[in-house]
Amino acid sequence: MLLEKVFSGGKAEQKVIENIKEHIRTLCSASDCFKKAIEGQDKELMFCVPDLEREGDAIRREIISTIYEGAFLPFLRPNICRFVEIVDEAFDVLEDAAHVFEYLGTTLDKEIEEESIKIADMNLKMCEMLLLAFETLFSKEDLREKNLAIRIYENKIDDIKFDLIEKLRKKEVNNFWEGKMLSDFISYLTHVSDVIEDASDYLYIMNVSLR
Amino acid sequence: MAELIPYAACILIAFGIGSNDTSNALGICIGTGIIKLRKAVLLFGCFVLVGIVLQGQRVINTVGKGILEVDLSILSVSLSISAILIILSNWKKLPLSTTQVIIGSLTGSGVASGIDVNLVSLFKIVFSWIISPLTAFVFAFLIYRLMEKTLSRLSLFYIERTLRFLLLMSGILVAYNTGANELATVLGPVIYSGLISKMPSFLLGASFVFLGAVLLSNRVIETVGKGITALDPYSGFAAQLGAGSCVLLFTFLGMPISTTYCIIGGISGVGMVKGMKTVRTDLIKRMIFNWALAPSVAFLSCYTLIRILRYWS
Repeated sequence: MLLEKVFSGGKAEQKVIENIKEHIRTLCSASDCFKKAIEGQDKELMFCVPDLEREGDAIRREIISTIYEGAFLPFLRPNICRFVEIVDEAFDVLEDAAHVFEYLGTTLDKEIEEESIKIADMNLKMCEMLLLAFETLFSKEDLREKNLAIRIYENKIDDIKFDLIEKLRKKEVNNFWEGKMLSDFISYLTHVSDVIEDASDYLYIMNVSLR
Repeated sequence: MAELIPYAACILIAFGIGSNDTSNALGICIGTGIIKLRKAVLLFGCFVLVGIVLQGQRVINTVGKGILEVDLSILSVSLSISAILIILSNWKKLPLSTTQVIIGSLTGSGVASGIDVNLVSLFKIVFSWIISPLTAFVFAFLIYRLMEKTLSRLSLFYIERTLRFLLLMSGILVAYNTGANELATVLGPVIYSGLISKMPSFLLGASFVFLGAVLLSNRVIETVGKGITALDPYSGFAAQLGAGSCVLLFTFLGMPISTTYCIIGGISGVGMVKGMKTVRTDLIKRMIFNWALAPSVAFLSCYTLIRILRYWS
């Protein structure tokens, strides 16, 4: 029974792995919801992002406490915890973007709408790619390919971000708060991809740490 | 009454082995949470007994009759001095090898008593002390290289699971060696002096090793367990298995050697793979100093004590 437990990996390890997958899936759902809310200019729908963020928080707490109870070899524990914290940071940034979206006017400006939807779509694809990258830690598939795909998406978002900043510089705003909210929205929206890229890099570090 | 002295000394040494060597064997497994302390201690005790019953005979022969013919006075002095030195070294936190102390004590007592010491046998033992850390070095180096070519190609979580299993297996191997080599070194002279027969001595010895593990090992393991978080399990396993296989090889040859020096050899072997700069030369120098110190101090102490006792009688 002891050997079976040791060799097949304990229940605690399985629980952590399943929870991490669930955590990333929840991030995908939040990104999808965010994208749909922007596409439909639907502020009511945007409330799903904070709800999913809270759900993600609960999963993160469960993962950390299971690891604290002794799941995985100690050498791997801080790396897994750090990865989960980074994914949680992506939730926070997405939630900030969702909050700021509520303060923007009734509809998004036409100049930035198209690019914002593109970024939200790429954020969603990056989250899905992150889930696939995490799953390669159980298979013989190459993590580097997924890692590279995430970096390519991030570069594309960076390019769009610079275009958006140029557009914002030329845009007339009625007051300070309108300009600030618009600037914050673009800033948060484009920062999500940076955090997902960090998470993907950390997966790579985790992958080589035990070799 | 005089017959009780070797018994008492043996019990103390066996107790010391239990309190210190449980961490050598299963400290990593406990620290990493692969196995709980209670189960580890039980496993350690069982495999010490299995080790001495299945494979202790050759080392018992070498130490019990290969070096010199022991009598009660030699046995009493050498085991008492050994017990005192081992307790003192534990107290002062100086790593002295139990095996080296016992061999040094027996030789010192024999020379002082004018008994013929089999120099060929002694030379073989000392030679095995020199080559065993080097063998562990080579074994660990090769194991690490092999792991890089096999285990490293698996997925991360499969590596993690496999390492948990392998760490437990190498821990069990070290526990087995503790019985087959270290405890056999302690019991060899007592068995060949005719004080006690084999099986009762095996059971008694293993029981006191187990008792030492139950009562005192938790403090040593706690230290290892706390320090283990920074330990790379990949390197730890290669070093431990390298050392364990080396001790097993020398046990087959009937040579009493030190597990601790083999583990240091194993760690250096893994360090060599990662570059010579990672090997701490100051630690190697201290190890060589202790390596020479332990048998020398034991030899001189026993020699002096026997001379004094003979002078007064």
